[in-house]
Amino acid sequence: MTLLEIKGLTIDIARDSGPARVVDGIDLSVTEGESLGIVGESGCGKSLTMMSLVGLLPNRIRATGGKALFGGRDLLKLSAKELRKVRGSEIGFIFQDPMTSLNPVIRVGDQIAEALVYQKGMTKAAAKAQAVELLALVGIPAPEERANAWPHELSGGMRQRVMIAMGLAGNPKMLIADEPTTALDVTIQAQIVDLVRELKDRLKMSVVWITHDLALIAGLADRIAVLYAGTVVEDAPVEAIFDRPTHPYTRALLGSLPTLAGAAMERLPSIPGTPPEPGRRPPGCPFAPRCGFVQPSCSQSVPKLQAMPGDRRHKVACPVVLEGVA
Amino acid sequence: MAMIDIEDRPSSLWRDAWRRLRRNRLAVAGLVIIAALVVVAVFGPWLSPYDFLSQNLDLRNQPPSAQHWLGTDDLGRDVMSRLIYGARTAFMVAVGVTVVAVLIGVVLGSIAGFYGGWFDRFVMWFTDITMSVPQLLLVVVINASLKQPISLWMEARYMETLNPIWRNSQIIDFVLVFGAMALITWPPYARLVRAQVLSVRRRPYVTAARAMGLTNRLILTRYVLPNAMGPLIVAVSAGLGTAMVLESAFSFLGVGVTPPTPSWGNMISDGLRVWTNYPHLLAAPAAVLAVVTVAFNFLGDGLNDALNPKGQK
Repeated sequence: MTLLEIKGLTIDIARDSGPARVVDGIDLSVTEGESLGIVGESGCGKSLTMMSLVGLLPNRIRATGGKALFGGRDLLKLSAKELRKVRGSEIGFIFQDPMTSLNPVIRVGDQIAEALVYQKGMTKAAAKAQAVELLALVGIPAPEERANAWPHELSGGMRQRVMIAMGLAGNPKMLIADEPTTALDVTIQAQIVDLVRELKDRLKMSVVWITHDLALIAGLADRIAVLYAGTVVEDAPVEAIFDRPTHPYTRALLGSLPTLAGAAMERLPSIPGTPPEPGRRPPGCPFAPRCGFVQPSCSQSVPKLQAMPGDRRHKVACPVVLEGVA
Repeated sequence: MAMIDIEDRPSSLWRDAWRRLRRNRLAVAGLVIIAALVVVAVFGPWLSPYDFLSQNLDLRNQPPSAQHWLGTDDLGRDVMSRLIYGARTAFMVAVGVTVVAVLIGVVLGSIAGFYGGWFDRFVMWFTDITMSVPQLLLVVVINASLKQPISLWMEARYMETLNPIWRNSQIIDFVLVFGAMALITWPPYARLVRAQVLSVRRRPYVTAARAMGLTNRLILTRYVLPNAMGPLIVAVSAGLGTAMVLESAFSFLGVGVTPPTPSWGNMISDGLRVWTNYPHLLAAPAAVLAVVTVAFNFLGDGLNDALNPKGQK
């Protein structure tokens, strides 16, 4: 069953010089119990896409077109009040920076309990007990004591666990994790990834994991969508992305990952150029100016996501490569 | 697994601030003086050696003596008793005015900063206008135009009910002086709170609170305001001192507390007329006012350092 289906989503920044497009017709879907990884460079619109679903876009940034069907409703058409009820109870969030994403003046247990009181109308005592259970669920030792700790008394990894507990408090069908490990040590990163995977299976929820770290989500995601300049350029099961990366951008991304087998002194390949700024995207394929396979036809029209011949689940937005494969 | 030791007694931000404050000698001195002021203000009637109104025309303008530690004024009233009662006036005015002004400032400033839009523009426009009117002028106008009608109205109530409360001139004083001073002192609080709210509402934990589906009102009261309080506390501490000085200034000019209710301001005003002959009548209230004002400023500075530890070295 499809849980979330985004179709042709566009997001614009209102500027004095007129609107600048940052997300340009994204198509994405998440099925129940699936975990989707969304990969892309900073500013490619991966966070904005997810924030737009629940009405958390910053001022002056708006979803201007498309649909986002979640359980049959178009999230983009809901009122502010309806969206507030979706947040937390149907779609949970975990954020990037655990050091600053907890309110410093509320004890962590109370912070979780407060959400429960207002989301579910629980009594204070019941919410507190539930908060302790949630802390135990995310693997915090001695949860009764930790519930009374202030945020600044916990380490980064512990705080991220608390954030996850908060994201899970409303028992959501989908958890959106917006680069939740970027601010953590590598060893802690692995723990958090394991924890989320385990919780996903145990609670039978979908997970959307936003990151720029391909290697990190290799072990977590069922499917990966690669974003470039506000469009999906490749959408495929995780093995296909790593075994048969097809879009030139995906290939370049994977090519710039360091490997243990690589020669030590070799310079790590990088993609020349920078992504286009919002409002200054080139005509046709946005990646064309940086692409090694560029053809004159690339600047004619924006390429659409097409299934690969022989693999319906592997979709690529590059006619040039697709013809080469065919 | 990464773990850190948790102290037996969890230390909160406020406890840390209190620890830093205690290390600041000037701030502690200020705090002690203010505590003494509060005690004197609250227990004044039991502490003062004489009634502040009783005149003794045989002992006018006495220098300090064993009977009258700070001498007597031109009506033979004990200066010390009047100073003690004046502390009551000053304290009540300072606290009353500041509480009203801070309440107005916090409510308007936080709503303006949090929601923005037309309400924000309206509040800022209103503070601009209020702050551009000369304060003294505004208070004089309010006093001059409202005191008479309110007195007449209260006298009429007295005639109807014969309840002596309607003849208590202190009530008019406090309503008018409080009201006028609150009206001129709230805009800076509103601006301060608005600026703080504007910066705090962008912090990640506010976004996280939104993502949990909390209501705006809850986010404002539990997430934004508590984290915006530090600078406000500093401003309140300095503002209490300013309100006392302001009350003295208005009483000095005759638009504040009406005699015979003693206020440091009207004592200074009375003392100024005769200071060449009886300097103690000017020196005593002026010195007390100066010391208390300085105490509030020391405490304000200390709080500023204690609540913004990043500001130091």
